Amino acid sequence: MSTAPDGVRDTPRTPDGDRHRPTSHRPKLGAMSVSLLNDLMHNTLDEGYALAAQRRTEAARAGRPVRRSGAVSQALTAAALLLVGVILGVAFQQTQQDAPASQRTRDALVHDVEQRSRVSNELQRQAESLSAELAGERDAALAQSQAGDATASRLARLEAMTGLTAVSGPGVRVVIGDARPKAQTDPVTGQPVVVPPDENGRILDRDIQSVVNALWSAGAEAVTVNGERLSTTTPIRAAGDAILVDLMPVGSPYRIEAIGDPDILLPNFVDSVAARRFETYVTTYGIDFHVDRSDRLRMRAATEAVARHVDPLPGTPGPAPTDSSPSGQTQPSRMGAPGVAGAPTSGVQPDSGTPTLGGGR
Amino acid sequence: MIPALALIVGVALGLLTEPHVPTGLQPYLPIMVVAALDAVFGGLRARFDGIFDAKVFVVSFIANVLVAGLIVFLGDKLGVGAQLSTGVVVVLGVRIFGNAAAIRRHVFRA
Repeated sequence: MSTAPDGVRDTPRTPDGDRHRPTSHRPKLGAMSVSLLNDLMHNTLDEGYALAAQRRTEAARAGRPVRRSGAVSQALTAAALLLVGVILGVAFQQTQQDAPASQRTRDALVHDVEQRSRVSNELQRQAESLSAELAGERDAALAQSQAGDATASRLARLEAMTGLTAVSGPGVRVVIGDARPKAQTDPVTGQPVVVPPDENGRILDRDIQSVVNALWSAGAEAVTVNGERLSTTTPIRAAGDAILVDLMPVGSPYRIEAIGDPDILLPNFVDSVAARRFETYVTTYGIDFHVDRSDRLRMRAATEAVARHVDPLPGTPGPAPTDSSPSGQTQPSRMGAPGVAGAPTSGVQPDSGTPTLGGGR
Repeated sequence: MIPALALIVGVALGLLTEPHVPTGLQPYLPIMVVAALDAVFGGLRARFDGIFDAKVFVVSFIANVLVAGLIVFLGDKLGVGAQLSTGVVVVLGVRIFGNAAAIRRHVFRA
C-alpha cells in the first residue's frame, strides 16, 4: 500500500468502513422517483472510487501487486487537473471577453455619436456666425440708399415671418407631456405601487403637429417646439419612438411656444379642436397639457431650407433663397418696446433691432 | 501538492495563452466547467475518504465533461437545449454540494 497516493493508505478499512455508511445507505422508499432523488441527494460520490478501493483491497488480500505506481497515479491526476484548470481559465477568459465586447461596441458608438454631435454643433455655430456676418454686410450695403433701406426692412420682415431670423415677442406657451406613472396604494397589501401609464398616453408626432397647426391657425407668427424654430418646411415626424423636429430629437415634456398677440392667440387656441381634444386626453389618458400666456418669448432662427429645384428669375427683386440668413442670433439684442404687440399680426419682432413687423409700416 | 500546482498552472495557462475556442464549442464551455468542477470535488472528497483512485478520477472527469457536453448538444439539436442544460447544472450542482458537504465534514469535523 505504500505505493498508493497519500489518501489511499488507509484503504483497507474504508470501503466497508463505517465512515461511508451514510452515503451508500439507501432507504427503501418505494416510489421510483423518490429513490431517484434520494440517490441523487445522498450518493454524491462516484461509485467508481469505492469499487476501485474494493478491488485494491481484494488484490492486497490475495497478495497480488498493486498495478499502478504512485508516480503514474500522480501524473495522471496532475494532467487531469491541468486540463480542468485550462477549462476554467478559458471559460473565465471567454466570459470576460464576451461581456466587454458588447460594452466596448456600445462605448465606441456613444463616443462616435458624441463626437459627431460636437462637430455638428461647431458647424452650426460657424454657420450662424457666418450668416450674421453676411447679414451685417448686406444691411450695410443696403443702408447706403433709400431704396436699399426699404428693401432691408422688407427683408427683415420676410425673414421674421419665414423663421429665418431670431425673434422675440409675447405669445403663448403650450406644454404637453407623456402620461406619467401613477402612484397608487394597493388595496390588498396597503403598499404603495406604481401603475405604469396608459400606452395611449404617449405623445405622438401627429399630436405635436396638430398643436402646431392649431397655433398657426390661431394666429401664431413664429413657433418653436422645445426650442427648435419651425420654418415653412420644418418637418415634425417620428423615427421609432423618438420625435424629430427639424431632424433633432425632442423629448417629453414638449414645450411649444408661439409668438402672437396673446389676447387673440390664447382664446383662439383654447377654443380649437386640437386643444379640446387634448383636454379630453388629460382626463382619459392622464397626459400633461398646460396652456399659458407669456409676455416675452425668444426664438432662435430656424435652419435654412435649401432650395434644390427653384432658381430665382434674373432681375427679380427680393432675396435669393440662399441669401437670407438669421441675422440677429449672434448680435446683441437691441429690442424695441414689447408694447408693439397691441395689434394682431404684430407680435413678432426681429430680435436684432431691425424694424418691427407690423408696427411701423 | 503536485495536483494542486497542476490546477493552478492550468488556470494560468488558460488565462494567459488565451486559446481560441471554436465557435461551435463555445455554448458547451459553461456546462463543461460545471462537469469538471463536479469531477474535481468528487476526487477531493474521495481523497479525504481515503479511496482516491487516479484512474477513476481521470475517467470520471473526461466522461463527465463529454457526457454533459453531449447531452446539451443533443438538447440543442432537439430544441430542448436550455432545459437540458438546466437539468445538467442542477444534477451536477447537487453532487458538488453533496461532495463539498462531505469535504467540509472531513476538514472541520462538523
